[in-house]
Amino acid sequence: MSEIRRLLFRTKRGLFGVSLLGLFTFLAVFGALLAPEDPRASSTDVLIGPSSSHLLGTTEAGSDVLSQLMVGARVSLVVGFAAAVISSVLGAAVGLIGGYFGGWTDRILDAFENWFLVIPTLPLMVVLARLLDPSLLVLILVIGLTSWAGTGRIVRAQVLTLKERAFVERARALGATDTYILRTHILPNTLPLIFANTVLIVAVAILLEASLAFLGLGDPNSISWGTMLEAGFGSGAPSAGAWWYVVPPGLCITLLVLAVAVLGYLFEEHVNPRLRDQR
Amino acid sequence: MRARALVALAIVWAIAAAAPASAQEGKKVLRMGWAQEPQTLSPFIDQDEEDFRVWSINYDLLVNFSPKDLGPTPGVAESWKISPDKKTVTFKLFEGHKWSDGQPITSKDVKYSLETFAPNSLLFPSYVENVTSVETPDDLTVIVKTKQPDARIVGGLFVYILPEHVWGKQSLKSLKGSFRPKPPIVGSGPYVVSAVERGRLIRMTRNPNFRGKKPAFDEVQWIKYGNDDAVERALTLGEIDLVPEVQQATFARLKKARNIEAVSSTSPSFTQLTFNLCNEENCPDAKFNPAVQDVKVRQAVAYAIDRKRINEIASRGTAFEGHGLLPDYYKAFYTQPSEDYALDVDRANQLLDEAGWEPNDDGGVRAKGGQKLSFDLFVRSESPANIQAARLVREMTAPIGVDFKVQVVSVDKLTELTTQQVKGKIAPDFDTFIWGWGGDPYDPGLLLNLITTKAIGGSSDAFYSNPEYDRLYDQQSGEFDEAKRKEIVGQMIALAQRDLPYIVLTVDSALQAYRTDKLAKPKRVCPEPDGDITCDQVGYASITALAPAGAAATGGGGDDGGSGLMIVLIVLAALAVIGVVVVLLRRRRAGREAVELEQ
Amino acid sequence: MRLRWIGAKALGALVTLVFVLVFNFFLFRVMGDPTSQLARLPRASPEEIVKLRAYYGLDKSLLGQFADYAGDTVRLDLGVSQRSRRDVSTELAEAIPWTLLLIGTGTLLATVLGTWMGVIAATRRGTAADDGLLGFSLFTYAAPEYWIGIILILLFAVALPLFPAGQQVTPGAEFDSFFAEAADVAEHMVLPVAALTLMLLGQYFVIMRSSMVDVLTEDFVTVKRATGMPWNKVVRRHAVPNALLPLVTLAALQFGAVAGGVITIETIFSWPGLGELTYNAINDKDFPVLQGTFLVFSVAVIVANLLADALYFLLDPRVQSA
Repeated sequence: MSEIRRLLFRTKRGLFGVSLLGLFTFLAVFGALLAPEDPRASSTDVLIGPSSSHLLGTTEAGSDVLSQLMVGARVSLVVGFAAAVISSVLGAAVGLIGGYFGGWTDRILDAFENWFLVIPTLPLMVVLARLLDPSLLVLILVIGLTSWAGTGRIVRAQVLTLKERAFVERARALGATDTYILRTHILPNTLPLIFANTVLIVAVAILLEASLAFLGLGDPNSISWGTMLEAGFGSGAPSAGAWWYVVPPGLCITLLVLAVAVLGYLFEEHVNPRLRDQR
Repeated sequence: MRARALVALAIVWAIAAAAPASAQEGKKVLRMGWAQEPQTLSPFIDQDEEDFRVWSINYDLLVNFSPKDLGPTPGVAESWKISPDKKTVTFKLFEGHKWSDGQPITSKDVKYSLETFAPNSLLFPSYVENVTSVETPDDLTVIVKTKQPDARIVGGLFVYILPEHVWGKQSLKSLKGSFRPKPPIVGSGPYVVSAVERGRLIRMTRNPNFRGKKPAFDEVQWIKYGNDDAVERALTLGEIDLVPEVQQATFARLKKARNIEAVSSTSPSFTQLTFNLCNEENCPDAKFNPAVQDVKVRQAVAYAIDRKRINEIASRGTAFEGHGLLPDYYKAFYTQPSEDYALDVDRANQLLDEAGWEPNDDGGVRAKGGQKLSFDLFVRSESPANIQAARLVREMTAPIGVDFKVQVVSVDKLTELTTQQVKGKIAPDFDTFIWGWGGDPYDPGLLLNLITTKAIGGSSDAFYSNPEYDRLYDQQSGEFDEAKRKEIVGQMIALAQRDLPYIVLTVDSALQAYRTDKLAKPKRVCPEPDGDITCDQVGYASITALAPAGAAATGGGGDDGGSGLMIVLIVLAALAVIGVVVVLLRRRRAGREAVELEQ
Repeated sequence: MRLRWIGAKALGALVTLVFVLVFNFFLFRVMGDPTSQLARLPRASPEEIVKLRAYYGLDKSLLGQFADYAGDTVRLDLGVSQRSRRDVSTELAEAIPWTLLLIGTGTLLATVLGTWMGVIAATRRGTAADDGLLGFSLFTYAAPEYWIGIILILLFAVALPLFPAGQQVTPGAEFDSFFAEAADVAEHMVLPVAALTLMLLGQYFVIMRSSMVDVLTEDFVTVKRATGMPWNKVVRRHAVPNALLPLVTLAALQFGAVAGGVITIETIFSWPGLGELTYNAINDKDFPVLQGTFLVFSVAVIVANLLADALYFLLDPRVQSA
């Protein structure tokens, strides 16, 4: 625990990641209250550049870009975290069960895993999202249920090494059940790895949500950075030179992903000391 | 070093060599752009606007639409006689009229089009639904008999006349499946499709056998761009001469661009707020808030909605306020309804008070006997304009104590909600929604039909049922006399305004733009005086009237504005700063290079 | 021994391919009933629906349908596009070369640039240049590729009208020679390829750098240096080729990510490849085409993985004994 605190607050990278993530989380919670205007309020000031009344200009509907930006943080973070949690839980479960029990269970699960690893992610998600009616829940499920394989693979490898360790042998010799061993020996030792991996999955999930929204498969009832990019591109903002509309949302996505990724690599290095020497 | 120079050279050469070849000498070409291509160009299966743009130039109808007032004017038929019982119309075709491939145009072609083509196509069967027989006593005479008098046979038979000797060769199965006509597409219009390059362009060349006056342009090209934005950019850069459909969001910008004139004209389409008026008999299992069926509530909502503001914001000021069921585009039949629900919030409140809808202290939503004036308002995600209109409706009705809950759904979902069936009977599941309809060029029947009882289960989406309205509808559909018909239609509009199955928010406009340095100023027709410049999707009269601009053609494209310069300056500045920093830092550590690796 | 290993991998690829077919089939037949999409006409009568079902073989048993589907797919009969009424296989065949052009050029550029940057960073480990490059690559990894594309359009097509903002040729243009047309395509390729390259650059650079660092600390490099060979030559002749291997295999393995990037980048630039085909099919709800592009993407990734395995196996003597 204290190790995590040290990593987060005492290292340069940790501070960078935490502060950015903190800022965006704050926006996700309070963005709607703090936004200068109703992000959905339209006006006749269409695609106007930054001015004193609209710090980041207006959209093609005359809405305030800054307000939309602040409110959009919520969807990115919520979908990112929720999808990552689902993905992690699923992946960890598969990795634990397959790795521990071995045999045919493992082989079948491994085949599934292989398949999900190989299938190109975005095309798969596009197909699924198109077949279902778009909504936040669908987005979360689609992302979560298709990106678990990476975690599964990592967890399984870890479980395999743990399985052969002395304390597991001893526990078995003493007559402990599989469930007990899994719960008290294997799981706690894989948690740090799962945690580090989850953080990285959050970064991926945020990017995926933005991509799906950009392609028009996002939730039509919410505003997110991805839908801002979609609306901006679709209404000809680039051609109009309306950089205030398209640059900020992408920048926010980039910074958020950067922050999460930096934190994720930080944790991963901590868990997997081998990686540290690469720096 | 060398590699870099080579790369730079290659890029320069590529840019230089890529200038498109010069236009063919002497040939006058009209270049238009679009963002979506027609699917197959087969009138049997296609349904897009782009298809209509091509068909309306490639083919004639039996009776065309006059550019002046969209009334009947000779097409393939030169003249027509209506029988006293109005159930038979005898058409006399033009003599010596030939298809673009030289074959004569005869009554056989008309019979094929009306009896085989229309009923088996996707979009045209309704126009011939009353036809009982098509007789062709000789090559130039066609006798059309109908079940009951149908004014559309003369004023609105929107069925292209296709060459039987080309289409008759294909099996119906193939025609309804995947048959794609191959160029040259034989037709009787001023231009016929001579080349189709998928993803690139569609070329139409002048039909030497065209009956009318020779048009000024030898060739018409439809050039495909990646998206609407690219089309409009191409116009500002001078790559194309005319854009037949401009986006609402960019219309204002184009209006201000140099050498470009942007035109907004009336059209037969509108956007409406629809109420679920299904009754027990027609849809026993429908689901909705019963309050929506209180006419006073609907009227109050109508008084509270500022249609001008909806036009200004949702349509960016490019459309027109709605005034009743029939858009004023229908010059021959339109009358402004006497009850027009001009904005009057006080009156709205008064109506609701009179009807017993008590205002609520907290939240403000009125209620009566346990029912609240809270309705869901569905709107399709594909239309940002509709979504904004929905939000505005919500905003405008909140002060009178009505709560519209805007639900953005996909068009599939909305279709499902409005057409789902339970036990074989229609059972719509919505309180209100916003969508739009588009009518025929001259005959108001399509739009008037939407709120008839017999349209329930078909195109009716408000499920309105009024026997008086139905009676008037049948009467006007068989009335060939314009003046008499106008009077009947006026009564129908009054009924619709009283009962408000729809609140027509805006009459949508057709937005177009052209280059003033490439085209002589086109006349606004279809209909005069405020129609569009291409008689878009309706006829070819405008296209044939277009002519190249006079000698005084100022060149050059539009200016993209100074903000671009700002971006460039910022980026260059940033790069410069980074560059300087990097160089400074490197110089300081230059000596340490070789030592690093030993560690 | 070698053969058995390759054989096993090939068999694995085949099995995955079968899974893809099954998945594709169930996804579209079971999850999205085709008749509702086929009968998009608002007034399709019940008789017409029955006829449509028979025509598409939907009245057979599920297994029978799958057999039909598998057989059709193998014969490359992938159905008919609902929008254009052309064969899906024709649409795919027309789109694939454009995507290959984009991916090929982009991957090549990213490999070359990534290698170059990786060498610089590895040989100047810990310096500002290294940090700068790492920062840059992290940025391009985190940034959505379509956002990079939009910025490229803003900078180089709108603010400075240097390059076209979309499509693969100048619309409506006629060309006198193949070279003129090729030059036009080249001009249109610059921005989309740049976007794709930037998207891949980050990853390639990082991999190249770390593998270079690995190689540079190996014994044989120290030996070469000790013999007096100039440093440049050591790097170029010996270090780089050895470090390239992980990069090449990564390129093949990352194909899945490239597929995603291709979809969004082609959409931005209206590039007529598989990506734009997918995007249009999404908007038109053209399921036969969606099914087709998904199949192509999956097959491409499976094949790429197989090639990566084979390449790694053939080139790296260390793996053969594993």
